[in-house]
Amino acid sequence: MEQATPRPGAGPAGTGVLAASMRVFDLSLGRMLWSRRTIFTALVAGLPVVVALVLRTLLAFEVPVMQGGVTGPVVFGLMFWGFVVRFAIPVLAVFYGTALIADEVEDRTITYLFTRPIPRASVVLGKYLAYLVCATSVLLPAVVLTWLLLAPIDGALAASFPDLVVDLVIVVVGFVAYGALFAAVGTIFDRPLLFGLLFVFGWENLALALPGQLRRASVAHYLQGLVPHAMPADTPLDVLQRAMTGAPGVLECALGLGLVTVAGLLIAARVVSNREYVLEH
Amino acid sequence: MTPVISAAHVSKWYGQVIGLNDVSVTVQPGITGLLGPNGAGKSTFMKLVTGQLQPDKGSLRIFGEPVWRNPGIYHRIGFCPEQDAFYERMTGREWVTALARLGGMDERRARDAAAEAIARVDLEEVADRRIGGYSKGMRQRIKLAQAIVHDPELLILDEPLSGMDPLGRRRAIRMIREWGRQGRSILVSSHILHEIESMTANVLLISSGRILAEGDVHRIRDLIDEHPHTVYIRAADPRGLGREFLAHPGVISLRFEPNALVVETAAPDAFYERLTELAASGACGPIEELTSPDDNLQAVFKYLVRS
Repeated sequence: MEQATPRPGAGPAGTGVLAASMRVFDLSLGRMLWSRRTIFTALVAGLPVVVALVLRTLLAFEVPVMQGGVTGPVVFGLMFWGFVVRFAIPVLAVFYGTALIADEVEDRTITYLFTRPIPRASVVLGKYLAYLVCATSVLLPAVVLTWLLLAPIDGALAASFPDLVVDLVIVVVGFVAYGALFAAVGTIFDRPLLFGLLFVFGWENLALALPGQLRRASVAHYLQGLVPHAMPADTPLDVLQRAMTGAPGVLECALGLGLVTVAGLLIAARVVSNREYVLEH
Repeated sequence: MTPVISAAHVSKWYGQVIGLNDVSVTVQPGITGLLGPNGAGKSTFMKLVTGQLQPDKGSLRIFGEPVWRNPGIYHRIGFCPEQDAFYERMTGREWVTALARLGGMDERRARDAAAEAIARVDLEEVADRRIGGYSKGMRQRIKLAQAIVHDPELLILDEPLSGMDPLGRRRAIRMIREWGRQGRSILVSSHILHEIESMTANVLLISSGRILAEGDVHRIRDLIDEHPHTVYIRAADPRGLGREFLAHPGVISLRFEPNALVVETAAPDAFYERLTELAASGACGPIEELTSPDDNLQAVFKYLVRS
């Protein structure tokens, strides 16, 4: 039997998944960065910056908006948990993750990727890496900017800087885990966006609110365990703090998020490798 | 000699609809035309041959190897799909280079190979323009460029001339024949006999998911000529074209549509020759698109199926 051999100048037959992934990454990054999805990402990421700017403006005009011992770092912590972790990261991950392969199928360009000498798994991995760069490159600067605006209000930048570093790590880790989960969802379901949004706004809220172990079946539970911000006691924020008392330890968080990531990517790669894509004309 | 493509009792179903029905065929090196009306199973066969689909029954091998889930085989295959789908924001050069890199080439080699492929399809002048701004003919040619960029042994071209203007069509046919002469094996599909005939005499006739016949094109040609051939021409001056063809021998009827002329002819060879001359001279302004419904081919296939 004749074996497939590369032409002169070409790479080895059966290019490795990682090397091929980087080439898919190169091809996908520009396309992803200059898509309408990135504009949506920038709008979402810009919201906390706008809120912080409004707050600073009000304070500049000596409007008493910060009372009861609430400081800038506390407001930042609340915004980070309530908006960035519980809304921005999962929503952006849903929009990007579910579309990794679906966009190529919808645009009927998947053919060009699947008729190249690369494993199909590398298409998933390369596009996933492009999503991570896209999403983090928009959200991370927004978080830093929000922190720069809020942390100096009755606080000190230097004191809250270590927390900021942890927050930035949480953003990356959140995108990694949610992205892998929704990449799998995007390859399995016909309406992945709907399923993803139901998961984020339905299941995750329910799982976190109910007592017992159900919360372990949510990504937010493990991200919550990493959030470093302390909340002031004897305020309405107590409620939130109490809700967080069941937060897992860092090791459990790392294991949980790692498992979600690996399982999500493996499932996505397996489904894409075995699935036939019949493109509509 | 190992056949280029060998299919043994291959069937493919889309739910309850059969796409390909117990097809057994061997394709030898050289140019082979896959001729059949729309919905005959040409694209299904092409997708099976390129490993995008898996046969439900039977086996399909390229150069003696299975193709489904065998990415290494794509070093030897170049595929030009039918669909008009691109990364519209990329330039032609960026796109072909990126796809060459997916074939395992390093950046420099990919750039050189892309430049070479683009030159072979005569697109150097627009290579650095965004694909989104390309004409239909340019889009078809850049698709051909990505198919040949890694210098494959087997080219699979799914309706490569679809929508091209007469000059682009002539140029593409010349390229395909040249590639064949250079030793590449080519499987090219079309629903227009005239196109296939201009590239090769070796055809596979496909209809309703079955290979009806294989071999020389001339017998089919005689049957085709008994049925009028319809051509849709989108042009800047359809009325001027209509005047030219009114007295042309073989033209049976003319019909005007918005920005287009629909011609029914019993002598497609002479008709296409004259049309190409007109396009080259520019006497009737630019001719933007040329398509042919497959009514006449359908009639011939009905005849073949009955007999």
